[in-house]
Parts: sequence; structure tokens; C-alpha cells
Amino acid sequence: MALLEIRNITKIFGGLIALRDVSFDVNSSEIVGLIGPNGAGKSTLFNIISGFHHPDKGRILYKDVQINGLEIDRIARMGIGRIFQEPTLFMQETVFENVISGLHRHYQEAAWKALLHTPGANREENNKRDKALGILEFMELSSLKDELAANLPHGWQRVLAIAIALASEPDLLLLDEPVTGMNPSETASMIEKIRQIRERGVTVLIVEHDMRAVMSLCDRIIVLNLGVKLVEGTPDKIKNDERVIEAYLGKQVL
Amino acid sequence: MSPGLFIQLIVNALTIGSIYILMVLGLDIILRGTKILNFAHGQLYMLGAYVLLLFFQTLNLNFALALILSGATLALVGALSYLGVFAVLSRRFTVSTTFSYRLLLSAMASVGLMMILQQGTLLCFGTQERGILSPFPQIIDVFGVRISLTRVVIIFLSILICIGLFFLMYKTRFGKIMRAVSYDPEAVTLQGINTFWIFVSCFALGSALAGLAGGIIAPLFSVTPSMGQNIIFMSFLVLLVGGIGSYRGTIAGGLLVGLLLSFGFQFLGGIAELFVFILVIVILVFRPGGLLGEATE
Amino acid sequence: MKLLNSSTVSRNSRLKLGAIIVALAVLIILPLCIESDYIKHLLIMVCIGTILGMTFSMLYSAGLITLGAAAFYAVGAYTSTMLVTSLGLSFWAALPLTIIISAVLSLGFGAIFVRNAGVAFVIITLIFVQVIVIAAGQIEFLGGWGGIMNIPRPDSLGPVEFVSKRDCYYLILAILLLIVVIYNAIYSSRIGRAWRAIKLSPNLAGTLGINAYRYRLLAFVIGSTTAALAGCFYAHYFQNITPGAFAGWLSIYVQLYAVLGGLEFYILGPAIGSVIMTFVPEYLRVVKEIEPIITGLLLLIIILFFPGGILGTIKNPPDFNLTQLKSRLNRMRISKAQGDKS
Repeated sequence: MALLEIRNITKIFGGLIALRDVSFDVNSSEIVGLIGPNGAGKSTLFNIISGFHHPDKGRILYKDVQINGLEIDRIARMGIGRIFQEPTLFMQETVFENVISGLHRHYQEAAWKALLHTPGANREENNKRDKALGILEFMELSSLKDELAANLPHGWQRVLAIAIALASEPDLLLLDEPVTGMNPSETASMIEKIRQIRERGVTVLIVEHDMRAVMSLCDRIIVLNLGVKLVEGTPDKIKNDERVIEAYLGKQVL
Repeated sequence: MSPGLFIQLIVNALTIGSIYILMVLGLDIILRGTKILNFAHGQLYMLGAYVLLLFFQTLNLNFALALILSGATLALVGALSYLGVFAVLSRRFTVSTTFSYRLLLSAMASVGLMMILQQGTLLCFGTQERGILSPFPQIIDVFGVRISLTRVVIIFLSILICIGLFFLMYKTRFGKIMRAVSYDPEAVTLQGINTFWIFVSCFALGSALAGLAGGIIAPLFSVTPSMGQNIIFMSFLVLLVGGIGSYRGTIAGGLLVGLLLSFGFQFLGGIAELFVFILVIVILVFRPGGLLGEATE
Repeated sequence: MKLLNSSTVSRNSRLKLGAIIVALAVLIILPLCIESDYIKHLLIMVCIGTILGMTFSMLYSAGLITLGAAAFYAVGAYTSTMLVTSLGLSFWAALPLTIIISAVLSLGFGAIFVRNAGVAFVIITLIFVQVIVIAAGQIEFLGGWGGIMNIPRPDSLGPVEFVSKRDCYYLILAILLLIVVIYNAIYSSRIGRAWRAIKLSPNLAGTLGINAYRYRLLAFVIGSTTAALAGCFYAHYFQNITPGAFAGWLSIYVQLYAVLGGLEFYILGPAIGSVIMTFVPEYLRVVKEIEPIITGLLLLIIILFFPGGILGTIKNPPDFNLTQLKSRLNRMRISKAQGDKS
């Protein structure tokens, strides 16, 4: 049983067919790449998986449970985390506070206990703090922890978004263009981070335009074009596939 | 109910409906373009009526000319309001300002504006009702039914304005830019167009529509300082029913409310408004976001 | 707003605690020093205004803006009045019943209203308060437009007979303080944090497992029920209610309290706003005709130049036109420090 099973997903916006009959699997501990020219439907698929849109046809199974049609927060609580293409952060909070917010669903202390600072509540506060600091260190954000999210340069905002998603302890992480706009050294650093994330037991599904990153990072790649799945396979297979090259026609790819 | 009465009620419904349509189209254009919920919109409507009074009665201009001048004047008032108030406000906003904060502050600013315009008009013109002798006082006979020409003219003028508006929004480059700004202001800026003046135009256009609505209705109802407060409420209702961001929804909503009010007042009296409210709530249960609109966050 | 920080009792905390004690002392001693019944009445209205302002702020803390704060204020007033005058219950029995009934009603209406996003919600609350007012006016059973008179004061509690304004003041003060404590606890809790997340970014909050709808509904219910509680008190203090008392400008003034005091200060903000908006017009003796213009101008000035309200402006003194420049400078500073990851 695959962790995530996409079955015959079709989505139409107005008259536009965004996705047509798309199917593929994502297995546990894999890093799967989703690529395709602009307008191929990649972000739409992410939105459908995470619950922001409902598909017109087809199903999505996560850990053998049907998740299409469920609310965003329900899907998140089942263990799916994601980042967005546009910077989506708690802008008026600090980096540290942002990551703490990510821990929300795992901590349950009762209001009155927190107010009275019972030992249990205090312990939980410290726990959360330590966890957040740990994630910040992992993502190399420690030195920025008291900066306002709004003040961060775009590259760091992306890193923060991933840190927040990690805080919610997902089993499946959807990364929407994590390295877009980064220079080669930042990209290399992020690629390494994503590998480490996989080592921590998180399965990753990644949408990216940066072909070098995709080729070096992913175990398998799914190629979409104009809403339809063209081909899927290992990076080598994809690299040499005529249909893929044709779809990207003229764009700097491999 | 006699067929004669029925026709008259329909005409009445269309009259009321067309005024609301003009008002709400104005509100919607402002809302979609600048993301401002303009609570002073009713006051602009009222000012339109007073300005018409000035041009038509005091200066004795031709009705059509007076109407056009009212529209133009209110467009100017709208532009000035935007420049003086809302433009200053939007300088505070950065990319990270939350939507709720922007909405709240601009709504509150418009409330301040509303209070000033309302009381200012009251102090300037006094509380007395003023009537305008309709330039179309005749009663015409349509298949044996007596209909006041004034109402027909109102409906006709409203349709004319709507057609003009749609032509502007959908067939001219300027209109396309205005619509684009409501979807993606950044993309418009990237095209080298200064969105600032587009915002001003949206506000001017929306205000002109409100002013025209006030001017058109003036011959039918009396002109009083409380006009603005009375109409804004129902206008918001129509906006909600039709759906924010849908012109078709606005027209449908306006007509629907017009029908309900026209027939409602005839048979139910004062409670009619209550039924409209209840209808709105029912609609919202099944279609959050209005009949045809998208209530965007 | 956290009154008590982490386990160490810092100097800051002790200062805050001291301030609270002084403030409480003042509030309690105040009516004893004041002769004028009228001023005591104003103090009572300030307390009510603060409570209503706090309900507005609670919804704002979750990203919702209501223009109908007066709606459940009216519901509470009428419900309690009906329970006491028609069913003969005592005020003290009617009070909890009013709370329960209002909670149920606000849950029902809120479930429909909260589904709507931003702008639509504002309009809905505006319409809703109008509906309540018109319904109260049209229904003869509820007194019609003339309202209901001779509503009895609360029954005596031991030695305290609620005949004097002073006693009523202590009652509303107790209610206000209770609400402050409860609200503060809620804001400091998981619920408060969820509201903050929803307010700052509903989408991001969703991906972290926070259900925006449910939390907003919770804010709506708590806020509405609180307003109803205030209404219940008002009816029995003022001893007469009319639909007109809840219409028109009231909901807008409630907003103004929060904005004037400081939007981000969910408890102190409305308090300060309420004090100023209640007392200042009294002392300025402004001609009645000019008053809305002055209020409108005041509103514009605050919004345009001091949007943080009084408390916000004290906390972050404004530097006009430098906001954008500052954020750009900040970004440059961080880039430099991090070796350019922009």
C-alpha cells in the first residue's frame, strides 16, 4: 500500500481542464518530483491533495483513507504538511513564534493550568520551546529566531515556511517550489536539507522547475503537461524521454 | 389582483431594482478595484440628488445635462475622497498587512467620511424635504394600464447607464485594466501601468454611479438628507444576495429585491423589509457568498 | 495579552501586578468619591461599553469584523426582560437562562454567518442587527417601537439592594472584571493562539490543523453571549428598553472604542476607548449638530495617522513615511548578516 494514492483525478475550472485523469503513487520514504511546464496543473494537484480544492472526478487515498472532500485542517491533522508558492507565513510574528505555531496541534494544555503555571504546563512550555529551537537549528534559522517574518528576505522566508511545516510533524510533506529563486549554493544546501528530512522519516512530494535539483534529489519523477500525466519514472528515464523534451520545447531543461 | 395592478407592481419593481443595481454596481466596482467597503456610498447617492437639484432646479438646465453634470461632479467627489482619505491610508499597508486589517481600517475610514458628509449635508441644506417637479409628469397608457412616465424613464436611463458601463468595462482597454486590477494588481503594475490612478478611477466611477442613481431617482422621490442612510442598508443587502464580485449577480439580486419590495410593500406593508432580510439569510445558508458571487478572503 | 509570564517572577511582572492592584483599588473606591448620580451613570455605561468593545475585539482577534455588536446586546436585554416581566422570574434566575439562550441562538446564527468570508461577514452582521431591531419594533409582544418600561432592578443580594447607582456600578464592575479574567485566560490559551494564527493567515493555519470555521464560530458564540450578558444587566439597570437604543450608531461606536484604544489590545483597548468616547463629549459640551462631524473627523484622524490607537501609538511611536523604508532596510541588514540568501 502506497502512502499516497492519486487515482484518476480530474479538475475543471470554468471551461479549463486543469487536470485530467491523473494517477500515480507515492510510497513511504520516497522523494517524488512533480514537474511540467507552466500550467501543467502541478499546483492545482497540490491544492487538491491538501484540501484547498475538491476534484471533480477521482479519489485520493492517504494511508488507505479517502481524503478528497475532507477539510483542510482534517487533512493536515492526518499528517500532510505543505508549503505554498507565495510566501505564506505569520508575517507579524517572529521566526521563533512562527515555528511554535506550527506545533499547535500536538499540544493540549488546559487554559487554567497554563495561567497558573502548574508544573505540567511549564514542562509543556519548555518542551515546545526546545522542539522549536531544534527545528530552527536543523533549518539553520537559529540566528534569525527573533526577526519578524515580514523582514526576512524571500529565500529565508521559504526556509521558514518549511520549518513551520516540519513543526507539525507530517508524514507527507508537499513542497511547492522550495528552491525557486535561490542561487546555486542555497539550492545545494536546501537539497541536502530535504534529504535529511527524508532521513527523519518524512515522505516528500516536490514540485520544482529547477531541473538539476529535481534530477539529483528525486527517486522518481512524474511529468505533467497540460493537465495530463505524460510519463513517470526514474530521473534517468525521464531525462531521455522524447515526450518530456518535446513538452518543454525550447526551455532550458536538462 | 388585477392585471393592471400586476403590471404597475412590475414597473415599480423594475424602478426600485434598477436604482439598487446602479448603486451596487458602483459599490462593487469600488470594492473589487480598491478592496474598500465604502460606507459613505449612500451619502454619494444623496449628494447626487442634491447636485441634480442644483443644476436642474436652481440653474434650470436641461434634465439630461443636469444628470450628466451630477455624475461628473460625483465622480470628482469620489476621486477627491480617495485621494484625501484612502490613498493616504493605503500608504501604511505593506505586503504583509492582513486582509482583515485593511478591510477594517478602510471601512472605518469610510464610516468617518460618511458621518462628515451626512452631517455636513444636513447642516448645509437643512432637514426639509425638497421635491423636484418631474420633467416627465405624464401618465402613459399601456394596454389600458396607467403607468407614470417618470418610472419608465428611470428604468430606461438605468438600462442605458448599465449598457454604457458594460461597454466601458468589457470593450475598452481602460475597462479591461480596471478589471485586471481587481484580480491581480501586481501584474498590472508589471505592465507599466500606474495602478494608483486606476484606483482613483474605480472610486470615481463607483461614486458617479451612486450619484447618477440619486439624480435619476430625484424626480420620483423627495430629496432629503436621510436618503443616504436609508439606501445604504438595502444596497449592502443586494450586494450580499447577488454575491460580491459578480455583475450578473448584482443585476439578479437587484431585480429580486426590487420584486420583493414592490410586491411586499403592497401586500405586507412595513414587514416587507423583514422578509427580504430573512430571504438573505436563507440564501446564505445554501450559498455562502451570495447567489452568484465568490466571497473571497 | 499575557499578564503573567513564565515561571520566573520578573520585575516586569511585579510592576504589572502592582499596576493592576492600583487600578482595581481606584475602580472600587471611585463611586464612593463621586456625588453626582449622572457621573455614576456614565461610569456604568463605560463598563457596558468596555464589555461590548471587548466582544468586538474578540472577533477581530480571530480575523472577523462585526458591525453587529449590538445585536446580541439587544437579544440579552429583551430575553432577560421577557423572562422577568412575563414569566415572573427573578433577575438572578433570568441571568443564567439568558446566557444559555443567547449561547444557543448565537451558535445557530453563527453557524450560518461564519461560513462567509471577510466582506460578506461584515455586511451580514450589519443586516443582522437591523433585523433584530426591526423585529423587536414590529412585534407587539416585545413592546413594539415604544419598548418596555418599568423593568425591575435586580433583587437584593443580602444587604445589597440594587437601588442606588453605586450598587449597580459594583454589579457591572464585578461582571466586567469576571469577563476580563475569563477573556484573558482564553487569549492566553490554545484557543487564543489558534485565533491569532487564523487572523494572520487562515490558509497557513489550516495546513497546521487549525479549523478556521470552528474557532471563529467559538469566538462568535463567546462574544455574542458576553454581549447578551451586558444587555441583561442594561435592561434591569436602565429599567426601560426600546429597539431604538440598540440601532444605528451603537455598533459603530463599539468599533470605535476598540480602534481608538488600540486594536491589538483586546482588553485594555476597548476600555480606554470607552472611557474617552463616553466622557470627552460630556466635557467638550459640543453643539449637538456638530458632534457627528467631530466624531467623523476624529475617526479619520485616528485611522489615517494613528491606526494603532492610543495604546498602539504609545507602544510604537509612528514615523510617517518611514515604514516602507524601514522594512527595506531591515531586509538589507539581514541579507548582509546571512551572507546574502535573497
